[in-house]
Amino acid sequence: MPWDIQTDRPIYIQLMEQIQLKICSGIYPPGSRLPSVRDLAQEASVNPNTMQRALAELEAAGLLYTNRTSGRFVTEDTEMIVHVKNKLAEKHVKDFLKKMTELGFNSDEVMSIISDIVETEEMKYE
Amino acid sequence: MNNIVECKNLTKMFDTKKALDNVTLSISRGKIVGLLGPNASGKTTFIKLCNQLLTPTEGEIYIGGIKPGIETKNMISYLPEKNYLNDWMKVSDIIGFFEDFYADFNTKKAYDMLKSLEIGPNDKLKSMSKGTKEKVQLILVMSREAQLYLLDEPIGGVDPAARDYILDTILRNYNETATIVISTHLISDIEKILDEVIFIREGRIVLTKTVDEIREETGKSVDALFREVFKC
Amino acid sequence: MLGKLLKYEIKATARLFLPLYAALLVFSIINRFLNPFAISKPIDNMSAQLFIGIISMTFYYVLLVGTLVMTVVIMIQRFYKNLLGDEGYLMFTLPVQPWHHITSKLLVSILWTILSFGVTAGSIALIANIKDLGKKLTEIIRAIRHITGDTALFLIPVFILTAIAFYNVMIYTAITLGHLFQKHKIIASFGMFCVLYFIYQLLAVLVILIMSSAFLSPITPDWKPTPYEINVFLISLILLAAGLTTVNFYITNTILNKRLNLE
Repeated sequence: MPWDIQTDRPIYIQLMEQIQLKICSGIYPPGSRLPSVRDLAQEASVNPNTMQRALAELEAAGLLYTNRTSGRFVTEDTEMIVHVKNKLAEKHVKDFLKKMTELGFNSDEVMSIISDIVETEEMKYE
Repeated sequence: MNNIVECKNLTKMFDTKKALDNVTLSISRGKIVGLLGPNASGKTTFIKLCNQLLTPTEGEIYIGGIKPGIETKNMISYLPEKNYLNDWMKVSDIIGFFEDFYADFNTKKAYDMLKSLEIGPNDKLKSMSKGTKEKVQLILVMSREAQLYLLDEPIGGVDPAARDYILDTILRNYNETATIVISTHLISDIEKILDEVIFIREGRIVLTKTVDEIREETGKSVDALFREVFKC
Repeated sequence: MLGKLLKYEIKATARLFLPLYAALLVFSIINRFLNPFAISKPIDNMSAQLFIGIISMTFYYVLLVGTLVMTVVIMIQRFYKNLLGDEGYLMFTLPVQPWHHITSKLLVSILWTILSFGVTAGSIALIANIKDLGKKLTEIIRAIRHITGDTALFLIPVFILTAIAFYNVMIYTAITLGHLFQKHKIIASFGMFCVLYFIYQLLAVLVILIMSSAFLSPITPDWKPTPYEINVFLISLILLAAGLTTVNFYITNTILNKRLNLE
């Protein structure tokens, strides 16, 4: 999953979102050690100070923790990760619904569109 | 003293033209700062004043709390917009030169970076292209462990691939206690790595802000804001 | 730091001077064997040897004059280009005092001036095919000593050294003063050189007049100075040149230190 940074929103917020995503999707599994700030910053082509800020915010939120000697780790609290995951899901669905409403669909129509697409997608893989 | 650069009412005149006009400014440690402005807005003049290559007409400038002199030259690693390499030298000569004069020069780091560009110690500076010379100069400058890096138009005349290489080199060698000032008019290429920006026009400071403040307050990228502020 | 500056200054200039010296010596050896002084023979006797002799002799003269001209040109160029041109961006951001820059340029330039004179003199001696060179030299020195006395024999080299240093630093001062101008820096430097030259010549004449009226016998057409008088002359000129060199050095250093403007 490559880093995708836009320049019209604060970069640390985007970094936070994308690190959360990497944790939820298991790229950084619970309890695993994160790369160093310097390496992460270079990977994302951003300023190390910005990366540091994003990590500090995630740490304050409890998703990461620092071991003074060995670095920064993803929380082992899987419940919390699930919680974050649900939050992310909620956000994406809300964004989606907002767009669908703008397009003029009501919730029933949206539901039927979703189930149609899910069915055809499933057929593809069978 | 938390500010690495501090200047008060700094003015520089060339003939009757004001290149810098009553600039009061401070730049703190541990930041990557963009000095942004159109051509001939005073960016280079400011950087040269920090380096004591120009003498102020009025006002004062302090680097790490002291006036420019031998001590501040030890603190600053400067990349000019000109090619200052002696053409008769080989790569190993210029590396030896930097090693001799700067206690904070990391020779191994320099050779490692040169190697990644496939530049050998026996290559002659004379036979290099302009772009390669610029890269050699950047490598020399970033191989020092300085407190303040002043990079004047580091991505000015190079192609996008070289631009990425240069930004990567800057990031990789940045240590969080140092400050890097990058002057440029090509903002979209560098805004991702900046902490703060200084907008300068006709020798005056128009705005100083952190990039996140800009994005939060205006919902715009620094590049977009720049285009708005400097619209012709 | 001065030592390191000297090292690089010598490196940067040696690659220009050494080939020049080598070429000069090679050509003097060639010319010696081609025996160019036989050119006095009539033209109809033109042989291949004579023809080559003329060509190589011409080359030799060009090299001879070239070496002396190059010594001055390189001295000016090293100061102007290396300190006040683009390379100055590197030199003046080194953690080095400006007076170290001036001193390193000056010492290395004095070194090459002496060497250039030495090599040209040596090459002329080679070509002229002077036998018993050592013996001739002793004779010349003895002749000078006869007129000037022992002290002057020591004072003359000191005077030459001071004079070389004086002209070097005066040129540095002229260039640095010229650089203060916003435009036409090179013309301004040349103008400054003329002004300085005029002032210092005037001073020299003044000093000589004062010295001669104070210490010397009246100068008449058949005036023959005593060794004592020659010493007084030399010492006053050495002191004058040393004093002016100090002043010029101070001016140059102050400008580079306090009023530098590299554009």
